[in-house]
Amino acid sequence: MDVLSGPVAGVFRAPDVDYHAFAPELVLVAVLVAVLVVDLVLEGRGRRLVGGLAGIGLLAAMVPVLTLAVDGANRSMVGGAYVVDDFALVFKGLFLIAGYVTMLLSSDYLADDDYYEGEYYFLLLSSVLGMMVMASSRDLISIFVALELLSIPAYMLAGWRKRDLKGNEATLKYYLLGVFATGVMLYGMSLIFGITGETVLTEIGSKLQGPGASLPLVSLGIVFVIVGFAFKISAVPFHSWAPDTYEGAPTPITAFLSVASKAGGFVALMQLVFIGFLGRDDVWQPMFWVLAALTMTVGNLIALRQTNIVRMLAYSSVAQAGYMLLPFAVAGDLAKGPGAAMGPMTTYLLIYAAMNLGAFALVLAVARKTRSGEIASYGGLFEYAPGLTVLMSIFVFALAGIPPLGGWYGKLVVFKTLLDANTPWAIVLGVIAAVNSVIALYYYASVAREMWMRPVPDGDTTPVRVPAGLTAALSLCAVATVVIGVYPQVVARFGDLAVFSLLP
Amino acid sequence: MVAQNIAFGVLAAATSLAAIRVVTTRNVVHAALYLVVVLASVGALYILLTAEFVAAVQILVYVGAIVVLLLFGVMLTKATLGEDDQLDNDQRWLGAVIALFLLGTLSFVLVDAFGDDKLPSLEGVSRATLEAQRGSGAVGDAIFSTFLVPFEVVSVLLLAALVGAIVLARRD
Repeated sequence: MDVLSGPVAGVFRAPDVDYHAFAPELVLVAVLVAVLVVDLVLEGRGRRLVGGLAGIGLLAAMVPVLTLAVDGANRSMVGGAYVVDDFALVFKGLFLIAGYVTMLLSSDYLADDDYYEGEYYFLLLSSVLGMMVMASSRDLISIFVALELLSIPAYMLAGWRKRDLKGNEATLKYYLLGVFATGVMLYGMSLIFGITGETVLTEIGSKLQGPGASLPLVSLGIVFVIVGFAFKISAVPFHSWAPDTYEGAPTPITAFLSVASKAGGFVALMQLVFIGFLGRDDVWQPMFWVLAALTMTVGNLIALRQTNIVRMLAYSSVAQAGYMLLPFAVAGDLAKGPGAAMGPMTTYLLIYAAMNLGAFALVLAVARKTRSGEIASYGGLFEYAPGLTVLMSIFVFALAGIPPLGGWYGKLVVFKTLLDANTPWAIVLGVIAAVNSVIALYYYASVAREMWMRPVPDGDTTPVRVPAGLTAALSLCAVATVVIGVYPQVVARFGDLAVFSLLP
Repeated sequence: MVAQNIAFGVLAAATSLAAIRVVTTRNVVHAALYLVVVLASVGALYILLTAEFVAAVQILVYVGAIVVLLLFGVMLTKATLGEDDQLDNDQRWLGAVIALFLLGTLSFVLVDAFGDDKLPSLEGVSRATLEAQRGSGAVGDAIFSTFLVPFEVVSVLLLAALVGAIVLARRD
């Protein structure tokens, strides 16, 4: 039989495509192709131009996100596999802004770097595109493809300094552990598909509430899928790649990985857990409890001993992921239903993005002068760079959760979720989290002490020159951190929006 | 069904034995060639399940591309051709214990979930129905309708992987 005139030919109906719903992704695709072509034509001479184009492209993709938000309708396409709702839009906005800040950080970093390649921007945009797709993906295949699109460019960006041994180590560890985690996750997805016969999360969700959902096979599938994403969000014990990768990767990429890539993992987890696996909180709730407790504790304890600022921030971001996991660990016990756990997680992620990007931007600014990543090199920073010192203090104390800087509100909503659940396990977890916040304060404050009270290590007090892009990124993050801290309703509103309708 | 059962037994045995040899052999090239046996047998298992499209993809992608890439990798790097004692690993017993544990767990949950299920009998089902349900045409239709978004995203993914690989591999 001829392939073209097979029995199914003629039955095929092209799906309706809602171009407005796809507009942010389409704009981004157009820009990333343009970036590739422009760089090809200019043969690497247009560093500023290509970077500027990529930055403008990210902002341009923000326009359809805003029009979709104003429009407000939930758009569900291809049988519920791809959904544009407020949840997706809040995170698309976050990914675009995080990508834009990374772009600001990169342009000056790359300007005087031997490792410049125009493809850097192309890969960064591809990774952002993967995150955008992830925010709308509501079926297993789309989630997997989006995960690959956000990860594969990131693997290569982590090893961008290819003649640098640490860079090679960074990318190799990230890549090998990453594909291993993806393999485990895919196996889990195949088990879940095998038992439900569905890839769309809503269908999986309703199947897993029916009979046969309590099979050990389903539990194993859920565990495998969560393990795959636990790697992405660098939860302990799947965090071992994070410090080495963060240290060896170019610092703008480190900032990007620690914020955007982590948020991408959380977005996928929220969609999977709160739609697909909703009926099986007996499996994921204890698992997240253990993950959250371990991630906070191990991350903070190891961060205490770090002497390198990037490694310290790496372990601190591991610990922060632990706080973000807290609502998962109690979601099933909430009176308002598991969906009530999504708001606090989103709120925390948004605040974390502002303060962590800011901290890495500052590390970049200081490293321009000191050429060192040691915490000791921050000694006496106040004497020659008072502005940067104040900013860094804002970021580290925000990360520690001191009011009135952004971080406290994130911690507040997360702790409030634990109290709302009001089970013995939630209270124990709350105590662990509280102890961890105190531990964290010690190492965050030690950076501040170094900057304000210690002498300059080499006596060199020439001021730090901060280029315009970096200044813009720093101001953006600092303003966001302070405004959120003083007026937290700004993010609380987004946190409330970012809840998708759960299954009945 | 006897023929299918015998074929399954032979293929399963070939897959398992070759898979064990992949990790126990001390010769990288032999390991890659044993891998060909494993992957090709899995492709044959797909044919037994009347999934001929998946079988073709399995042979094209895994045997055709991945193993060849692996052999190129062996050739282009400084890996020893022939016996190499360094291929062994001190943690092999730990690895073996974990592998056996995983085997036990997976066998248990799979048998527990699907142990009593029977493949639907194909007797009386017309060839046309069968092709409409699981032929390559059905796969193609699904790719361009249900899975349109992931399909389009994969094109960007491949472009990014290609560009990134060239950048990392290029000597500058």
